[in-house]
Amino acid sequence: MTRALRVTGLRVTYGPVVAVDGIDLDVREGEIYGLLGPNGAGKTSALSAIEGLLRPAAGDIVIGDIDARAHRLQSKAQLGVQLQATSFQSNLRLVELVRLFAGLYGVTLSPAQIRERLEEIGLQHDASKRFRELSGGQQQRFSLLIATIHDPALVLLDEPTAGLDPQARRQLWDRIERFRKEGRSILLTTHSMEEAQAVCDRVAIMDHGKILTVGTPAALIAAHRDDPQVRQAAHGEVTLEDVFIALTGRELRD
Amino acid sequence: MLTFALPLILLVATGLGKNSAVLGGPAFRISLALTVGLVSIGTVGYSLAIARDRDTGVFQRLRVTPAPTWTIMASRWIVQLGAVLVMAIVVLVVAAVFVGITLPPQNYLFTVLVALLGSAVFLSIGQAIVGLIASADTLNAAGRLLYVPLIGLSLFGDSDRLGMTVELVSRWSPGGCLETLLSAAMGATAWSGQSWGALFASFGYTVVFAVIGIRWFRWVAH
Ligand SMILES: Nc1ncnc2c1ncn2[C@@H]1O[C@H](COP(=O)(O)OP(=O)(O)OP(=O)(O)O)[C@@H](O)[C@H]1O
Ligand SMILES: [Mg+2]
Repeated sequence: MTRALRVTGLRVTYGPVVAVDGIDLDVREGEIYGLLGPNGAGKTSALSAIEGLLRPAAGDIVIGDIDARAHRLQSKAQLGVQLQATSFQSNLRLVELVRLFAGLYGVTLSPAQIRERLEEIGLQHDASKRFRELSGGQQQRFSLLIATIHDPALVLLDEPTAGLDPQARRQLWDRIERFRKEGRSILLTTHSMEEAQAVCDRVAIMDHGKILTVGTPAALIAAHRDDPQVRQAAHGEVTLEDVFIALTGRELRD
Repeated sequence: MLTFALPLILLVATGLGKNSAVLGGPAFRISLALTVGLVSIGTVGYSLAIARDRDTGVFQRLRVTPAPTWTIMASRWIVQLGAVLVMAIVVLVVAAVFVGITLPPQNYLFTVLVALLGSAVFLSIGQAIVGLIASADTLNAAGRLLYVPLIGLSLFGDSDRLGMTVELVSRWSPGGCLETLLSAAMGATAWSGQSWGALFASFGYTVVFAVIGIRWFRWVAH
């Protein structure tokens, strides 16, 4: 089986804080993989290490067949990234941003191609706007466009549907599934168990920097259906959310 | 906009009324305008822009692309240098056309070169500031106060009214060195040992502040 991403023994620390405590991940080609976990579980930290934004304290990261820690720039070229909090240069217009980022990834787009890309996400009439002048949903669509401008094999999305209305959310799910049909792999984080169940082939539930369990949503539900904590969390039919709550506890996080 | 308006206002305002003679000659007026422009583009403007982009995640978005990290900063420096070049030319043109201060042709070249050297000094100070201050809020609040030490000090370089120490500090401050160099570049004073001193001090400031600013710089605002 070909892997889009293989992470082993990944450890990320911020001074004394251990954010990621030795996790393994493997994302298959053409797979949508969900990384779930309460606030502060270490999802963004794990993604940041894969993206090369921070240097892990330990562990190996292989993207496709490139050792990401040894060949940072090469591995970045394979990745499409949408960060949890992102923004773009405030003095540039959308067309200019598309051209700039295409250039940074070594892609040359003609004005017609740029227009086409913006049309795909329904922003053809906003080409001369600036990023901050877009609505939240438009911003989200635009940053997903930038993330995939170079047709990357692996796309990392950190909470891509946070703050979206149901229409925009469905639209995004469709886009993600289209990526998969094109042969890409997707690693995403989300707080919506409904979303994980709807779009992810497999999910990993993580907490306190460790991965608690991995599997298809259906397999996780089947495996934990009869746990007493899951029974207690469930209101009727057992859902992925019941499993999540049972595994990660009921207390609020930072 | 302030970056262009302020130097021009100063250029014109220093010529108004009877106090112009007290403040200094035509070369001094241009040099004050250029210094203010350099501080506002190189130090204040640059550090505020960098702090804002760091806060909003613009740099993180750039850092996940395969562009080498140093090019992200280098492109910002080039933009600021370009702005300084435009500002210097605008000030010199306005001085010549509207205020009636002209220089011999080669002195224009020297003046622009010194302005670019000065922008290296003030950009590296801006870099040191964003390196040492992590929060955009703090910088927003404190950033404009930088005009006081950087420009205010240089004003006393030629006056002994405030005593020797102040004069010494002010003459060898980054702004003071720039004034010394600009005045020589415009041909208002002869190139002297003090000019050499100012030149070496400017290189020294650039290296020291750039090293501090790069060494402690963080891409995220935590
Ligand atoms: N730059 C940082 N400096 C210090 N600690 C950090 C930093 N970033 C994250 N942390 C800490 O590391 C832990 C993991 O944070 P991380 O952002 O990876 O969690 P997360 O799973 O993405 O959470 P969320 O769902 O809220 O986005 C938390 O305890 C957080 O406080
Ligand atoms: Mg996160």
